[in-house]
This record gives sequence, structure tokens and C-alpha cells, in this order.
Amino acid sequence: MIAVLICQIVLSIVLAAVFLIRPSVTHAVGWKIVAFIGLCVLPALCIVGGMNTHIQRSEQTRFCISCHVMIPYGQSLYVDDPSHIPAQHFQNHRVPAAAACYACHADYTIYGPLKDKMQGLKRIYMQYVSTPPDPATIRIAGGFKNAQCLHCHLGARSFEENAVHAALLDSLKSEQTSCLTSGCHDTAHDIANLSHLKLWRPAP
Amino acid sequence: MKISEIGIGRLLRISSGLVIVGLLLEIVSLLWFHPLSFVLFAFLAAALIGLGILVYLVSLVFVAPPPPAARE
Repeated sequence: MIAVLICQIVLSIVLAAVFLIRPSVTHAVGWKIVAFIGLCVLPALCIVGGMNTHIQRSEQTRFCISCHVMIPYGQSLYVDDPSHIPAQHFQNHRVPAAAACYACHADYTIYGPLKDKMQGLKRIYMQYVSTPPDPATIRIAGGFKNAQCLHCHLGARSFEENAVHAALLDSLKSEQTSCLTSGCHDTAHDIANLSHLKLWRPAP
Repeated sequence: MKISEIGIGRLLRISSGLVIVGLLLEIVSLLWFHPLSFVLFAFLAAALIGLGILVYLVSLVFVAPPPPAARE
């Protein structure tokens, strides 16, 4: 996909270079059309393609943990303990392993990816301009919403046939009872104790 | 100085230059797997390309083509 986009960009550069070297060619009608394509249509498509590629790339697990403060969060996905919810989801492919962070931390609304991208820019600012936070102290603003869990689990047989889930379903949907902090699934990324935890090593 | 006095050739050169630099930066941002690559793309590459497109459109709207005698 990136290769196709780069080919398109190179073609745009070649066309733009023609008008940089010899702008007078645009006096001919045919070249006016080529100029419109080379200096307007193709570059605009390159912006759209680039934005799409960058947004898709930012959904990848390896992109998220390429930020220094996120490295321990990436390591916590390998904790060898099924009570650790992110590790359990990642290791058993309950979420796509290549997009594990995004699967649980995305805002699944119409402007969700853009909203997440704006949050990401704020974190880049913290990383490079202000003081990066201690990884163990990072908390999600407003807490982790049940909607992120219910996005996948709602309607799943194993989830809805569970007696506890069935009894609490309305309360979970209305966010009155939290999946994570109500005492049921309270171990997420245990960064503070990561050095003491046994990590799973996948077979090469 | 009015935009119409700049001349379409010069505006096309400016537009092409901006688009080329922006596109080269976009290639760098695509090949560079780093959190800053999006910043490079959104705030530099896309901005330069967009500005290049805008200059080209301005040249279409505001600048009259030179008379036939002045053409190369």
C-alpha cells in the first residue's frame, strides 16, 4: 500500500518538476490539463493517501510502543498471568495482536480516530516539549469506559450467558458499574510491579 | 505588488517548488517509523503541499495569461 502511494508521490514530483523547470509549457491547452493534474489533483490525492496511511499506522501496537513511556505497557502484554486483562487478550488473540492497543483504547465513534489522533498529539507534546510522565502514573482521562469492552463483548454468547454479566448488564451499559474498577477485572497494565512479574516468551 | 503582476510563470515555479518539497517530506514521513513522523507529515509536508496547491489555484484565478507575443 505504501509502495503504491510512494509511486504516486514520485509521479507527482516528476510532473511538478516539469513546471518548475519550464513553466511556459502551460501555454498549450494540453499542458494546462497536465498542470492541473500535476499541481492540484495528484498532490491532493497524496495528502489524502498520506493521512490515511499515517492514521492506519498509528493503530499498530508497535507504533504505540515506539514512544519511550509506552514501552512498559508493551511489555505488560507479555505478563504470564491470565488475570492480567490486556495480556490475556493480547496473548490469546482476543484482539488483533498487531493492533492490540487500538482495539481496547480507541474511541469507537464517528470521529473517534481523529479524536484519538488529537490525544496522541498531546502525548507527543508531553514527550518532546514538556515533561514526559512516569509510565506507572499514567491514567486515562475520565477512566476506562465499559463501552470499549462492550464494543466486542456485547452480544457474545460467553459474555451474556455469564450469570454475573447478565445480572449487571444494564449497569455495565450505563457505566454505573465499571468492568475494571468494580473488583471483577481489576488487573490491567500493572506497570509498577512489572519487574516482579513472569513474562511469557512466544515461540519464535 | 498585486498578485496579477507576479506572472503565471513565477507562481507556477513557486507552486511546483512547494509541492515538490512537501512531497519529498511526505516520502520521508512514510519511510520513518517514529511518533514524530505524523507531525512531520501533518504540519510540514501536508501544509507545504496544500500551500503549493493554493498558489497554483491563485495563479489560475488571479493571473491573466501573457499576450501571445510575450510567450516563449
